[in-house]
Amino acid sequence: MQTGTVELNPAAQTDKSDHRAGKYLAFQLGQEEFAIQVLKVREIMGVQEITAVPQTPHYVKGVINLRGKVIPVVDLRLKFGLPEAAYTQRTCIIVVQVSHGSGNMLMGIVVDGVSEVITLTAADIEDTPDFGHGVTVPYLLGMAKTKEGVKILLDIDQVLSTQEVHKLEAVLQKSEF
Amino acid sequence: MEALAMQAVLAGDLDRSLNVLQQVESEAARAGHPRLAQEASSLLAQLSQAASGGQGGSPSPWEFISEGVLRLQQALEEAHHGSAVAPAGGPSPAPPEPERPAAESQPLARDPELVRDFVVESREHLANIESSLLALEQDPANAESLHAAFRGFHTIKGLAGFLEFAAIQEVAHEVETLLDLARNQQLSVTPERIDVVLKAADYLKAAIRQVDASLDGRPLEAFADNRNLLWMLRMAATAAAEDSQAAAGAAQPGFDGRPASGPSASAPAAGSAENRAIKVDTEKLDHLVDMVGEMVIAQSMLRHDPDLALNRSPRLQRTLSLLSGITSDVQKTAMGLRMVTIGTLFRRMGRLVRDLARKTGKQVELVTAGEETELDRQIVEELADPIMHMLRNSIDHGIEPPEERTAAGKDPCGRITLAAHHQSGQIVIQISDDGRGLNREKILQRGRERGLVPPGVTPSEAELYNLIFEPGFSTAERVTEVSGRGVGMDVVKKNIVRMRGKVEVASQPGQGTTFTLKLPLTLAIIDGLVVGVGTQRYIIPIYSVVEMLCPSRDSVTTAPEQGEMVLVRGSLLPVIRLNERFGVEARAQHPSEGLLVVAEQEGKRFSVLVDEFIGKQEVVIKSLGPMFRHVRGIAGGAILGDGRVGLILDLEAIFAWKGEA
Repeated sequence: MQTGTVELNPAAQTDKSDHRAGKYLAFQLGQEEFAIQVLKVREIMGVQEITAVPQTPHYVKGVINLRGKVIPVVDLRLKFGLPEAAYTQRTCIIVVQVSHGSGNMLMGIVVDGVSEVITLTAADIEDTPDFGHGVTVPYLLGMAKTKEGVKILLDIDQVLSTQEVHKLEAVLQKSEF
Repeated sequence: MEALAMQAVLAGDLDRSLNVLQQVESEAARAGHPRLAQEASSLLAQLSQAASGGQGGSPSPWEFISEGVLRLQQALEEAHHGSAVAPAGGPSPAPPEPERPAAESQPLARDPELVRDFVVESREHLANIESSLLALEQDPANAESLHAAFRGFHTIKGLAGFLEFAAIQEVAHEVETLLDLARNQQLSVTPERIDVVLKAADYLKAAIRQVDASLDGRPLEAFADNRNLLWMLRMAATAAAEDSQAAAGAAQPGFDGRPASGPSASAPAAGSAENRAIKVDTEKLDHLVDMVGEMVIAQSMLRHDPDLALNRSPRLQRTLSLLSGITSDVQKTAMGLRMVTIGTLFRRMGRLVRDLARKTGKQVELVTAGEETELDRQIVEELADPIMHMLRNSIDHGIEPPEERTAAGKDPCGRITLAAHHQSGQIVIQISDDGRGLNREKILQRGRERGLVPPGVTPSEAELYNLIFEPGFSTAERVTEVSGRGVGMDVVKKNIVRMRGKVEVASQPGQGTTFTLKLPLTLAIIDGLVVGVGTQRYIIPIYSVVEMLCPSRDSVTTAPEQGEMVLVRGSLLPVIRLNERFGVEARAQHPSEGLLVVAEQEGKRFSVLVDEFIGKQEVVIKSLGPMFRHVRGIAGGAILGDGRVGLILDLEAIFAWKGEA
């Protein structure tokens, strides 16, 4: 019934894709290319010394000083259940603004490296394929097909607000085949 | 007619008001208005009772008389409408009140931003109004206070009118009229009139509280009925004519002989002081403080830069030291922006003392000193409750009734001093009374009864007085409305300790009691000890540290199932290894290789093992944000001298958490 409606009303399809179209910042994490909306990005910095905070999940690396503000830093590799990697010259902290409750907060995410800013049109973006057995991942905005390959679009608000992210692990493993 | 009666009451001339009322009664009876006659006669009875009872000690017969007069007025209105023939005695100066619907009608959509400004501004004005009125009560000829109060009501009226808060506007308008008459010396300033104006201020306060509550999205509740108040204000104002006649005849307290140039000279001065201050969003202020902190770090990095250190050019050195001087000046100024003077808090207490003194039938004078002492706004706000409790205590327990004071050869009017000053980076606030002092025997007896003082032990004076801060401790024989329930002083102490402060009490029998509060100037900055554990660095607030020591190998014992203990000057203290608590690698394998920080919580001492002591630093406390809300043992974060973040330890939480880990 759902598909039927979409076919009858192509405008709905465009509308749905439209809000996803725009500029994205692409970065690598393991073998994959991910991208988040540029609007969410405040700045990109090299890895600096992170102060560990006890009693936190392993993917929370700690806190850093962002020009006088103390902000938390999350290692996205660990958050997504990828093996831990040593930080290199290429490793970056992307400072993003995420909505938290009623307000916004700044947070750093550690990624393997930042590649480029890409502009995506609605036509470039496809819904995440259905992997069956009811695996739905709330923080996947969709997939982008570019010349260089497929990029996974993340809803960073969702990524950093969800406690359970291990579902992505399953998605990633399947997508590698 | 009732205006005449009212004037008489206001002028304190009971005989005359009795006469007028008698006239009203007989006239009404003759003209056939039984209700009017009845009201007049009951008011007459009340008045003559007040007259025979003597007005002196009682809190003012004002309330019931004003009610009576209101009923009389209603009866009069009825008579007007009923027969269209006014009873003899002249027309009523107060026109009949139009009936107002019970609920304040919601006008057009109000801009919440404007309403919020209105609430903030009105509160400020009301606080000023209150202190001006109290000053005016002390010195009825104080034109400056009168002007200040007038201006306050005038502004509130304007704002309320703009936002269509009719009830607020009406009350403010009547007060304005009344105060204007006083300004033009057509009306003398009597304690009764000040009472009415204070009552109006209370009404406005309550109404503004309601407006404030409505900002959270709830519908605005109807304001309380203000008709009685409006009428009282009008009556107080219409007594003017009478007043000026009296003033012409005899010396009357008021603006006798005070030149008009006084007020006009003082008004602009006060006005410009108001204009010099601007309101700044605290977020902007925080940002400024953040950036200044970063600037200090950048400046220090520059100064210790190895490349620059090689350059021995005197010009460069001069520039660098100039930069460092300016930086520290800017930092001091930025930190000072959050500071406010304690005077605002002291002024708020004036009203409390006045009301309490009346309620307890005592005479109390509040003297303040050091109003210009500055401290963090947050502390000022949190100090209000503790100081209020202590003042209440002083008035209820400390200050004796006038007869007792006279018998003891003291001035019948008690004196409470509220003083503040800075001392070695702290603010010291003293609240002293010249009352009867603390009753040592009774405190000791209560302490023994409650098992706080073991039998056979004679506590020192300080220990004894500290008992009054124990929860539920009270020596009052009877529970009064004001105090004596034994709640309060323990809460006072808890609040002060939470602000990292101390409270001490000293007392001399028959001479009085002094409470001394010592508080940090700000809650935003702490003096911290920077310690290292493995590669991590932590900050321990100095106020929670008793001592630091390097234990010898044989002073450490390990009890089975319990853990390590260290013997420090004859007492055994548990050892908490910080690295184990926080899951980090430590260098010190044995306590003797590291450093023990001894702290105390609720009388229990314990020690925390760290690797090394790095230094002492003043740090700005920063919240770690919602993500780390559940982390135990961490009070916040701070930027260290090299720009890294250090975690501030909450030693008490670390100790309390021991059992669960």
